[in-house]
Amino acid sequence: MSGDDNTARFERIVQPHLGDAYALARWITGDRADAEDVVQEACLRAFRAIGGYAGGNTRAWMLTIVRNTAYTWLARNRSAVVMAVDDLVSIESANAGQAATSGRYDANPEAELIAKADAARLEAAIKALPPQFRDTLVLRDIQGLDYREIAAVTEVPVGTVMSRLARARQRLIEAIAADDR
Amino acid sequence: MTVDTHDNDDQAALLVHAYVDGELDPASAIAIEQRIASEPALAAERARVEALRRALREGLPQEPAPAALREKVRRTVGVTRQRAQPTWMALAASLALAIFASSTGTWYAMQPGAGGSVPDAVIAGHLRALMAPQPADVASSDRHTVKPWFSGRIPLAPRVVDLVQDGFPLVGGRVDVVNRTPVPSLVYSRRQHLISLTAVPNASTGIKTSQTVQGYNMIAWTAEGMTYWAVSDLNLEELEMFARLFRAAPF
Repeated sequence: MSGDDNTARFERIVQPHLGDAYALARWITGDRADAEDVVQEACLRAFRAIGGYAGGNTRAWMLTIVRNTAYTWLARNRSAVVMAVDDLVSIESANAGQAATSGRYDANPEAELIAKADAARLEAAIKALPPQFRDTLVLRDIQGLDYREIAAVTEVPVGTVMSRLARARQRLIEAIAADDR
Repeated sequence: MTVDTHDNDDQAALLVHAYVDGELDPASAIAIEQRIASEPALAAERARVEALRRALREGLPQEPAPAALREKVRRTVGVTRQRAQPTWMALAASLALAIFASSTGTWYAMQPGAGGSVPDAVIAGHLRALMAPQPADVASSDRHTVKPWFSGRIPLAPRVVDLVQDGFPLVGGRVDVVNRTPVPSLVYSRRQHLISLTAVPNASTGIKTSQTVQGYNMIAWTAEGMTYWAVSDLNLEELEMFARLFRAAPF
């Protein structure tokens, strides 16, 4: 019975990543109850797709579904939160331009200051990041995915992952430095 | 990743980040190391990135998924199945399926593939532990509790080391079965990630020191007549750090 196979596959492929799925959904939605809804919907999508799952990296596969589900969910239930794709593109190019012309970043705090940043401050700074920067940073520095996995989950080239990650971190560093002034 | 390291300052900053993340190929890594050594601005950027990564890793509380979520998800998935065939037969079938899934189903799914290789068996043990209510049969962060627990159950108790100072607290131990032989597995944690460390006696040959199987990272090494297998969904960099610390730790 293929239903048995799919249930077993679901247990093996999806269930081990529930913690990561929930964490990512919580960062994207910014809310625990919303994150639970997103994870349930993502699991349903994963279950329906699991018969055709061709193998490979199960965590990246699951997190891709979670991320897509989260944005669809936000657009449906919290439409004001989601930025139009055009906005995202312009943020990215504006940042690239700014970084290229200034060369250096204005805020250059010492490493000791950054290391002392408290949890509430870090969390607020991460939440203030534009979504595509935040997702990349969370996947790398909190969830520990490598660049290739992040490229798969966020559906962009590795080079874009690299620049988004650097900018996300530099923004956090600037936010921490600004706090200290 | 191979990248041209002789670009503008902005590009160099990106490379410092990729270097800290261990994402550069050896030639690019050496090139950026040399630039870091000679350019204070890049050295400062490296220090900032490392400090930020540490702050995020150690300063940010990790919140596990609510315990009820796993069951809710199972129900959500199960409910869909019922809707597809809303007859009493289907309901009976789905009830039988639920029993199957909750009892033997998990075990069945965890059977190693056709190869039945040691890495497959080790990963299966790790996955089984992730799904069980407890990842360890003896749950203790005290190695003086965990080691004797093994002594009564398997011929060779593994070495158990304390790595809590290094951010890898001991969670406990369990017995896995590899090639029909009961073997010890230690469970350590790193943030919300679990690491299973399985010691298989009389190491087989042809061991790949590190590999990724189904999205899980594995590192293997041989010592004291055992092959140690560390498996986790933790990133390879930190898993390697764990392996290094474990090997270097005194008994």
